[in-house]
Amino acid sequence: MIELIGGEMPAWTEDRPPVGGALLTELAGRLPAGSDVLLAGPHAPELIDAVAARAASVTCLVRSQPEAIELDRRGPTVLCGSLAKVTAADRYDVVVALDGLDRLCSVEGPQYDWMEGLQALKRVLRPGGTLLLALENELGVHRLVDPATVTSAQSDSAWRPLGEFDTKPGNPTRFAERLAAEGLAVDWLGAAWPVPQAPTMIATPNALRDGPVDALAAAAAGAVGRAYAGKSVLSDPRRLAAAAVRGGLGPEFAAAWLAVAHRAPRPATTLPLPAVLLGDDAVVELAPPGPRFSAPSGGPGAGSGTAPAGGWVRRVVRSVPGRDLSALTGPLPAGRLLEELLLGACLRHDLPVIRRLLTGWTAALPAATADNVVVHQDTYALLDPSVPAQTDVLRRFAATVIGGGYAHPWPAANDVPALSVILHAAAGLEDVPGVPAAGPPPPDSRREHEEQLRALRRQLSEAASRVQWYERELDRRDTELRKARMQIATFSGSIGYRAAKLGYRWVGKVRDHLRKGQ
Amino acid sequence: MHHGNHFYGHAHVLAEYCGLDPEDPPRINGYLQHGWNVSDGLGTGTAYAPGRTIFVWSEQTRRRAWSMGRRQATVVGAPFLYLLTFAAPPDPAQPREGTIWYPFHGWENQGVRGDHRRLIEEILATEPGPVTFCLYWHEFRNDRIRAEYEKAGRVICHGYRGFQWRDTETRFLHNQLAELRKHRRVASNRLSSAVLYGIATGCEPAVYGDPMYLAEEHLPTADRIRRQWPELHGTNPDPAEAYVSAMAELGDGYLASPGELRALLGWADDLVAA
Repeated sequence: MIELIGGEMPAWTEDRPPVGGALLTELAGRLPAGSDVLLAGPHAPELIDAVAARAASVTCLVRSQPEAIELDRRGPTVLCGSLAKVTAADRYDVVVALDGLDRLCSVEGPQYDWMEGLQALKRVLRPGGTLLLALENELGVHRLVDPATVTSAQSDSAWRPLGEFDTKPGNPTRFAERLAAEGLAVDWLGAAWPVPQAPTMIATPNALRDGPVDALAAAAAGAVGRAYAGKSVLSDPRRLAAAAVRGGLGPEFAAAWLAVAHRAPRPATTLPLPAVLLGDDAVVELAPPGPRFSAPSGGPGAGSGTAPAGGWVRRVVRSVPGRDLSALTGPLPAGRLLEELLLGACLRHDLPVIRRLLTGWTAALPAATADNVVVHQDTYALLDPSVPAQTDVLRRFAATVIGGGYAHPWPAANDVPALSVILHAAAGLEDVPGVPAAGPPPPDSRREHEEQLRALRRQLSEAASRVQWYERELDRRDTELRKARMQIATFSGSIGYRAAKLGYRWVGKVRDHLRKGQ
Repeated sequence: MHHGNHFYGHAHVLAEYCGLDPEDPPRINGYLQHGWNVSDGLGTGTAYAPGRTIFVWSEQTRRRAWSMGRRQATVVGAPFLYLLTFAAPPDPAQPREGTIWYPFHGWENQGVRGDHRRLIEEILATEPGPVTFCLYWHEFRNDRIRAEYEKAGRVICHGYRGFQWRDTETRFLHNQLAELRKHRRVASNRLSSAVLYGIATGCEPAVYGDPMYLAEEHLPTADRIRRQWPELHGTNPDPAEAYVSAMAELGDGYLASPGELRALLGWADDLVAA
């Protein structure tokens, strides 16, 4: 059933896909069962289905009329129009707004800012009701690497491209404070990577602070790497993401923040919210050491517990047909990502460490790429054991070094084939695979383009100087050669001349003698 | 590439280490540091093709080269350390005694200024046992200087360094290793490759006496060396501390495997064939 509430857009179709993905679907599936739920804004069908599977009733609010018609075919009640026209109060047990508050008002009527949008959603919540809300980070890595400027957006949906000039909270703490100021107590807060529309990693600030930071940095780098494979970016988001997480700024640089908050009074049941969720189809949950996963909530970040770092475990919470994920259940391997250790050692020109890492890696896990291996002391472990075996892993690392413009100890090797030969030799391997294996393309980064341009200019200028140098050397050698040839000619000429002269004289004497004798 | 690569038979030692013919080392794809120095690894004024790799002994030298604008340095370690990996082990029956003393040497274009006689007196007054004087070919061929030293002890020369690929004593380092292993101490009036090699073979080091000076030498550099490595100077520096410093300067821990070295020097099978 579609209820046109006013402000609906009859000919409008959203120009960005609805929010969704495996992790948000998993999260939405953990909301209280048997509730009346409002899904405010565009949400992906599988997410709506996951909510509907547990809810007493589902209502969707969208501004696009064609999309409302589409949704209506799936079964939920559909409110089509602008958030400003939603008048019901104390109507829902749960409000889900994982798309944020930006696509709730239509072009018609008032244009709510973030706070007004939040207040409108809170009004429809029953006392004790739960809000699941997402907030995009305007300074998230996804924004920092975006070649396009939000505030000069050209798309049809950008009729008010506020970007960083919006009044919404700019960090997780302020996010929680603003919710609390509206009477919404925060039960759980998560930082989401790599993009707000479909996170593949969600981690609480506590987990990012006290948890297995190296594994989380690696997971963040992997998440953005997959999202940005081959995409045009300003700089490599993998390095930014990993550096942010390792540096304790994971929440501040995440693409979005997710909060679960409730209206007073506190609900009787606590939600099983995770410390860390990972995955883009199958979903894996990481948990601190303890008797169970997803500990009861107790405040912002609750769920990651207070256990010290180390001893974290993981389990598959949502599997997919055809993939064996059994290896993912168990302790999370400790240690730093091999790729980062190798790059760091390259930048430090630390050849002993590079050789140790290359040898250890190719001996222990020759079929794993450097971005899927974690190293703890001398132990090499797969970060994601469910990834199929790979080939030509050293050449792929060479491509990372060359493509990223990283300094390394063998500056003469300035292309992938030359560096591959050296890396194989440094790893103690005799042969370089003949046919390069194709991996996923790295992000297409402008900064790396600049670096490559600079490197090429340098190589060209060195080559030009070298040619001049060779020409000077050649001139010098030619002069020496000319001198040597002249000396040879002089000496050989004089000896020949003398020999010939002597011979001629002797022949003359003999002839004279013979003539006299006649 | 440069005839300096063949000095002291360095290229020959590396070829042998790489499993190639030590009598005929292939061309090295760059410039090999041929002696210890506090510059960029190459001698001052070495004419070199821009952008070509320089193969230096230590990471410290690489950093110095970088700061001097030489971006193409790769650390490989000193050829002498490569020799130690495949040379026959020392004969335990052979006693180590006395001191091998390396007076600071000049070369074709720079003679040494100093009083050899006074230096010899100081050496004999300091050294506890017999002294072998190892002269550089430049001084060894000078009858007057050689005679001065012959009055005081045994005088040897490891051979001619070589020049423009001619007359190189390709077993220079082998000769030096054999002599160093016969002695308990290695000494010089300047910190030099020979002192570092001696330490690497187990000699106790000493650096003392009139440092003498090269014609037109940059004097502050000599003083800087003493300030930078006090643990390698004096008549009896602590051998353990000296060993750590000396091995770092020689690039211990940075030696490439034969396969890696072949790839670095341009000696991999396909490259040599080409």
